Amino acid sequence: MLESAELYFNVDHGYLEGLVRGCKASLLTQQDYINLVQCETLEDLKIHLQTTDYGNFLANQTNPLTVSKIDTEMRKKLCGEFDYFRNHSLEPLSTFFTYMTCSYMIDNVILLMNGALQKKSVKEILAKCHPLGRFTEMEAVNIAETTSDLFNAVLVETPLAPFFQDCMSENTLDELNIELLRNKLYKSYLEAFYKFCKNHGDVTAEIMCPILEFEADRRAFIITLNSFGTELSKEDRETLYPTCGKLHPEGLRLLAQVEDFDQMKRVADHYGVYKPLFEAVGGNGGKTLEDVFYEHEVQMNVLAFNRQFHYGVFYAYVKLKEQEMRNVVWIAECISQRHRTKINSYIPIL
Amino acid sequence: MGSMFRSEEVVLVQLFLPTAAAYACVSQLGELGLVEFRDLNESVSAFQRRFTVDIRRCEELEKTFTFLEEQVRRAGLALPPPEGRLPAPPPRDLLRIQEETERLAQELRDVQGNHQALRTQLHQLQLHSAVLQQNHGPPPAAAHTDGPSSERTPLLPPRQGPHQDLRVNFVAGAVEPRKAAALERLLWRACRGFLIASFREADRQLEDPLTGEPVTWMTFLISYWGEQIGQKIRKITDCFHCHIFPFLEEEAARHGTLQQLQQQSQELQEVLRETEGFLSQVLGQVQQLLPRGLVQVHKMKAVYLALNQCSVSSTHKCLVAEAWCATQDLPALQQALRESSSEAGVSAVAHRISSRDMPPTLIRTNRFTASFQSIVDAYGVGCYQEVNPAPYTIITFPFLFAVMFGDVGHGLLMFLFALAMVLAENRPAVRTAQNEIWQTFFGGRYLLLLMGLFSIYTGFIYNECFSRATTIFPSGWSVAAMANQSGWSDAFLSHHPLLTLDPNVTGVFLGPYPFGIDPVWSLATNHLSFLNSFKMKMSVILGVTHMAFGVLLGVFNHVHFRQGHRLLLETMPELIFLLGLFGYLVFLVIYKWLCVTVTHAASAPSILIHFINMFLFSSSPTNQPLYSGQEVVQHALVVLALAMVPVLLLGTPLYLLHRWQRSRHSPRPAVGQQARCVDSSDACEKGWSSDEEKARCPGGEEEFVASEVLMHQAIHTIEFCLGCISNTASYLRLWALSLAHAQLSEVLWAMVMRVGLRMCGEVGVVSVVLVLVFAAFAVMTVAILLVMEGLSAFLHALRLHWVEFQNKFYAGTGYKLSPFTFAIQDE
Repeated sequence: MLESAELYFNVDHGYLEGLVRGCKASLLTQQDYINLVQCETLEDLKIHLQTTDYGNFLANQTNPLTVSKIDTEMRKKLCGEFDYFRNHSLEPLSTFFTYMTCSYMIDNVILLMNGALQKKSVKEILAKCHPLGRFTEMEAVNIAETTSDLFNAVLVETPLAPFFQDCMSENTLDELNIELLRNKLYKSYLEAFYKFCKNHGDVTAEIMCPILEFEADRRAFIITLNSFGTELSKEDRETLYPTCGKLHPEGLRLLAQVEDFDQMKRVADHYGVYKPLFEAVGGNGGKTLEDVFYEHEVQMNVLAFNRQFHYGVFYAYVKLKEQEMRNVVWIAECISQRHRTKINSYIPIL
Repeated sequence: MGSMFRSEEVVLVQLFLPTAAAYACVSQLGELGLVEFRDLNESVSAFQRRFTVDIRRCEELEKTFTFLEEQVRRAGLALPPPEGRLPAPPPRDLLRIQEETERLAQELRDVQGNHQALRTQLHQLQLHSAVLQQNHGPPPAAAHTDGPSSERTPLLPPRQGPHQDLRVNFVAGAVEPRKAAALERLLWRACRGFLIASFREADRQLEDPLTGEPVTWMTFLISYWGEQIGQKIRKITDCFHCHIFPFLEEEAARHGTLQQLQQQSQELQEVLRETEGFLSQVLGQVQQLLPRGLVQVHKMKAVYLALNQCSVSSTHKCLVAEAWCATQDLPALQQALRESSSEAGVSAVAHRISSRDMPPTLIRTNRFTASFQSIVDAYGVGCYQEVNPAPYTIITFPFLFAVMFGDVGHGLLMFLFALAMVLAENRPAVRTAQNEIWQTFFGGRYLLLLMGLFSIYTGFIYNECFSRATTIFPSGWSVAAMANQSGWSDAFLSHHPLLTLDPNVTGVFLGPYPFGIDPVWSLATNHLSFLNSFKMKMSVILGVTHMAFGVLLGVFNHVHFRQGHRLLLETMPELIFLLGLFGYLVFLVIYKWLCVTVTHAASAPSILIHFINMFLFSSSPTNQPLYSGQEVVQHALVVLALAMVPVLLLGTPLYLLHRWQRSRHSPRPAVGQQARCVDSSDACEKGWSSDEEKARCPGGEEEFVASEVLMHQAIHTIEFCLGCISNTASYLRLWALSLAHAQLSEVLWAMVMRVGLRMCGEVGVVSVVLVLVFAAFAVMTVAILLVMEGLSAFLHALRLHWVEFQNKFYAGTGYKLSPFTFAIQDE
């Protein structure tokens, strides 16, 4: 792309960018969170949410209100917004949107396969699937016995198809293999998305690449953390790491040899970005590594709105909205379970 | 009209509502729409307020109503508007309404559920029969069962292959058309070679039981080998939400099933009809109940929301509300409170209290003044009791518009259009039209009426009707006299297409035309330069007058808010500055018009040069003075005007500083101010009158910030002095726009209508062409000259009022009184 994207960006995407910035302004504010935390019951929560941009999105829900209903309705609202963006987008923004949905699609496929493995009914699992990652062939996932089956029969027409190149195998799909499949898919997805943004160049690359690099590194850390004490070999572990992050290549090699959290922290100490994050773990309020990562992600996404004429705002908006939904659900859970001591450990969106 | 001059007196009243009667009182106030409640519980969040439970119940009820409304709408029925005035129901009725609605909703849900189930069943039957009717060709005969690997069969021992003994199975069903292609592909990919699938469109469309839309389903028949494949196929069809039906292999058996199905569906349709009858009965009940209930519950919710803004008195016996109310309405308020609390035994009372907040602005308008007030309000709602520019706008706005739009014909069209709207304003069809553009025009009908009327007037002044001049009076110029005097011969006339009329020759110029521009000018080639000079001077005169009027209106503000110092330190210097410089220019123009005659035309003094020289303190020898002593007067005026700038800049700040210092040293004024604060009626008028006043306001410990006041005044001074020059120039838009309008209509006449009129040929042909030409002329006149030009002239008039006129005196930083009223719910 040329340097002068500013000149013609608005021709194709100006409307949507304006729209997404407007949507961003409707995110809950600090004051809203303070009010939400004070709620005594879910009904109170609903009344308060009505005064925000959520409006009366719960108006048609029959009583009693549950956390999952709130969650579903919030997701539906986000999904409606996203579909609007997507239906009005032009290339290459629509490809960008497709990349955004891929991560949800991967999650849904894995969820369905796990469900099929545990002989749960498809309907029950479908309800749990993220609406952003919905596609027609999704429900047919459980007819596949092996990954190549899965690819050939079900997913070859979906946008997920290119990510399957590295993970074709004839292994039967047991729990471990599914987990490996998820990580491999995610790895190639992230790398492809990263490449797409890099090739697009311009402000989009400047904004999106750091976000995706962080996402890749976060996955690497989380994979490492979750593999402690499992039968996953170190070589296998290394193959799961996405290679588009800042950790690549030395960090990943070190990370592959790590055996406990302290060693992982030592690896992270080599990187200016991750050192403060690991130092914050367990600090005030007993934050987990996940919380710290979320906070950092929110910060990056908020900063994405400081630049104009790029696609990152869409990604950042969806991620921020997701974080907001997680926060509301967390608060709602705390309220409904009368577990108020931890109600304040949501991730503030600045 | 008295109330138009400035906003009405509004006071803060405290209402003590006995708990038992609070609801009735507030509901009565809602019907009357007299008061604006203030939120006394701002610090309390929405769900911690007193009446939240009741509001929640109202919302529950609204939810049920929404459901019922949706059902009525889906059934294609209209809801009749509720008859008569429906007061908010007493709280105890809520339960009854709730019960009634719940019962109805439950009944409706049940019937609807039944109906839905029956329809789904019927749909299923219809699909089944559609699948069976579909002739998918003969089911593959046993001979074909070698199936998929037919190319390879020759390599294997013929007729003893592994597939030999396998039976062919069938899956028949229907799938939504948009999914058919994907299903087909997936089937092929997943069970490649083990099945034969045939897809067909169904013969007729079936109504979708949920949405009621007609859909042409795709039926399919899959024949396959082997049980494994069968399971796979079933899984796949499940995931595409296909309807699968048993498919019998024998033709006869299928036929039998088909007949059975048809019989079943007939029976089902019978039942369905009865259910529908019952459903429409229930819907009829809903139709009766719903409109009343909706209005009532909306009102009830509004009352509770208002009650939520009240605080509870310390004894818990009554609610305390604070509300803004016009002084004029206080008796009505007392009356309403007395009446509605009579049942409860304890009377609700209202009494005035003092407030340091600026009260809201209330200007009552009628249908004539409303559009003019809205022009002012669009700029900014006036502060409390500030001078309201709207009454003057009624005349100045249409006039300034007409100066730019002057044309008798166009004005007349606009006038007639507005007149038609005014005459038809009581017709319900006109009133309730939803078109946004129409509503805009209709709202401003009186404005348009005056604009049209004034345009006719200025059209006569400019002597233009669709760009043609009219000769109502005989022209003041005589060509005959000129021809006789100078003895123009025929040869001279034939060689000179242009002739000059010299007013110095006796008999040629008989005197000014009685009204407006002489029609003879429309024949002259120097028509434009004559009009330009006239219109330019006219614009400046109108502009300076308009601005001076604006500055004078400021006097009323200062007098009303008792700020005598501003009268002396602001209005006076401003007026001297404006009139000394630009007022003098106006004087020069008029003086020259009156005193310089045609005999001295060759040596007439130039006003422009004089005006420039006035600022430069110089004189040019070629330019004759207009009157003796002109230079002295001009020098004096310039010096005086410039001397006013420091007065304007420093006067008010120094005065305020002085007063503040004095009040700090002597304790006396503080006592006086305290007293004023207690005396409610007086305090209402003081205290918020302006920023500077606030700076020294009673009671508050605010410090006098000299720099801030000085900065504020400096900005004002610079804005005013520079504004005088730029605003005067800005009024030249009157000239420019009227010129543009005249030229455009001239062009339209010359290029369209005159071409048509000049045609020669057979009368029949010409007249037909002329009709077309006139149609084009008429359409373009309306589209370009009336609508487009009218819009631009309107915008410029708007700007002249907002920027040039109102910034001389109008702050417009107030807010409107928005009384608590049920008007919205009643509609």
